[in-house]
Amino acid sequence: MKAVHYLNQFFAGLGGEDKAETPPVRLDGPVGPGRGLAAELEDVEIVATIACGDDYFAEHEDEALATLLGYLDEDRPEVLVAGPAFGSGRYGYACGTLAAAAVERDIPSVVAMHPENPGVDAAGTAYVVPAAVNVAGMRDALPRLARVASALAAGRELGTPDEEGYLARGFRRNYFAEKTGAERALDLLLAKLGGETRTEVGGGLDRVEPPAAVLDLSQVLVALVTEAGCVPQGNPDRLPSVRAQGWFRYDLNGEETLSAARYESVHGGFDVTLANEDPNRLVPLDTARELEREGRIGRLHEAFYTTTGNGTPVVTSTRFGREIAGELREAGVGAVLLSGT
Amino acid sequence: MAWQLATFSAGLLREPEPLQGVNIEIVRHGEPVRLTHVLDAVEPRVRPDGRAAFPTEGKAGEGRTNRLDGVVVFSCLDFLEEERPLHEQESIVDLAGPGAEFTPFARETCVVLTFRPGEGGNQDLEARARRETLALAERLAEPTLEAEPARVETFAMDAGDRSLPRVAAMIQLSDLGPLYYQFVYGTPAGQAGLPRIVDPAELLDGAVTCGEYHWAAMRNPTIFFQRNALVRSLYAEHGKRLSFAGLVLMRGYEQSADDKQRAAEAAAARAQELGADGVVITTDAGGNSHTDVMLTCRACERAGIRTTVILAEETDPESTRPILTDWVPEADSIVSTGNLEELVEEWKPERVLGGDTLLDGTVAANAGPIPVRNYLGAANQMGQLTLGARTE
Repeated sequence: MKAVHYLNQFFAGLGGEDKAETPPVRLDGPVGPGRGLAAELEDVEIVATIACGDDYFAEHEDEALATLLGYLDEDRPEVLVAGPAFGSGRYGYACGTLAAAAVERDIPSVVAMHPENPGVDAAGTAYVVPAAVNVAGMRDALPRLARVASALAAGRELGTPDEEGYLARGFRRNYFAEKTGAERALDLLLAKLGGETRTEVGGGLDRVEPPAAVLDLSQVLVALVTEAGCVPQGNPDRLPSVRAQGWFRYDLNGEETLSAARYESVHGGFDVTLANEDPNRLVPLDTARELEREGRIGRLHEAFYTTTGNGTPVVTSTRFGREIAGELREAGVGAVLLSGT
Repeated sequence: MAWQLATFSAGLLREPEPLQGVNIEIVRHGEPVRLTHVLDAVEPRVRPDGRAAFPTEGKAGEGRTNRLDGVVVFSCLDFLEEERPLHEQESIVDLAGPGAEFTPFARETCVVLTFRPGEGGNQDLEARARRETLALAERLAEPTLEAEPARVETFAMDAGDRSLPRVAAMIQLSDLGPLYYQFVYGTPAGQAGLPRIVDPAELLDGAVTCGEYHWAAMRNPTIFFQRNALVRSLYAEHGKRLSFAGLVLMRGYEQSADDKQRAAEAAAARAQELGADGVVITTDAGGNSHTDVMLTCRACERAGIRTTVILAEETDPESTRPILTDWVPEADSIVSTGNLEELVEEWKPERVLGGDTLLDGTVAANAGPIPVRNYLGAANQMGQLTLGARTE
């Protein structure tokens, strides 16, 4: 199996700070720390070392990344290894950014650097193996880096961060604890009463800043958007009642009202009996048309957007929001009436 | 007032008598069986004094109750689709294979009742299935009346050691309408005068039963109240690390912002009446009810009562943004009972009971990987099981 190893100009032997402007280069085989790494890898050969000056990467990130990814396209390695970058911020950032981009291209990647290096964030979902703050930690870092790299190259599923020695990437994964949730709750509560507050999951919410108010609706194209699971009767596109994976756009075809004969809600999170007696209760087309006739809103957008907001992970709803907002913006919509349930 | 719980061997289980419109099968430990459309799970119990094991009048948690150890009665029912007022969600129990790790029932003898839709609508069907399941659970425990118990436990509350922190449990019970409510003495939670203080032994003794069929993994079936790990842990720690201050039952799915706030403050007031220094707040079902829990957490903290909250997560396993459904800054101590969105490895059972087709139309015996979300009680938010989620 093949690995490609990324280094900065210094570790690739191209020169010190004075060579930090060096553009990307590709060298055959392992170089510098790559030789020590090669000795630790299991059934993996470092076919190439790719390198870039730290300043060049920082100042010409797009070009540098394009060239480096081009090298990866040529070599098609099973794994990208980068660093160790230790505590060096610029080097760590380059390692992390390249690794994250490689992961996007389905090349498993692992970087070694100090846990507080800003490159850890840049690495996204690439694996990061902790290293000391300076080069004195090389001897410790290489075997750890090699172990994770060998596993990734072999396509082996990695164990937990603790078992495999990499930094947690932020995925929430299930496990079976030694104690029941009830016992864990009592442990946490007694610790908190004793002055030590701990938690198994952090809080925080994605607060959306309200945009500036629309001052004059009479000049604005207004759209109706809902997560109430409102669809044409019979649910032709099979919008799920729960855990929707997408959203739909339905043309209003100049309709004046959402009649019960033509529309229904398939939402599985509330009792839809009343909503289905009059679907305008979910998507108030009748009232919006009145406002349109009275000139209080400029015009109603020709389609409404719908999904089911029920058991939807926040990441998924965020995607729906971005996609729908993107279409609305292109259509020149200036305000949305969003009905939630 | 003390309550005694006498435990009897599963060897006393007899073949149940036939019930009209119900298939009954007994599944022994380790058989490769998948149960589908599972509504509830109940432990067989009977009272030697002749009072009801799942009373709708009088008081539970007094006198003595017999339990059959290692036996679970399941009710399964595939509702009539056209009459579904709310869409109940898939509810599965795997008695072997990888899914068996997510249930405590795979190690027990399972009496599986599959109800066939007959006359009447879904609410009638549900009421009948619920009543007959509880009644059968009671009949199955009757042989204990003539037998010697393996052990007898006594549950009693006393003032405890004043030097220890006073800790109460606050258990949330859902009420989102028909098919989505828990019962307190046979009354839907929303009409049961919640929040209210009850003797913790009442909870263990059949005062609360399940009629809530929303997300399977976040469901608290009757047996999780009967065997409640939180209340049992509090009794066990009483006089050791804490003083057990008592139990507050409260409602989830209050229907307006004002009602949610009022109910949260009322629940905190009940905890104050118990003299609690700290409370563990549990959650029933998801979404809307998480908001009730967060508001209750905030109201308690503002009343000077420290809180730990138990809840499940619904995070895309491929995302690194673990965002809870709702959250308040006061919720700084949370136990996670797992991530519902993770998939459980595919397994093909040799037999399926409860219905061959899942709600999404797939064949239950060949359903592919199933999310944790669909496994009954797997991520229940009373902390009954050991599942958790951590950052990797």
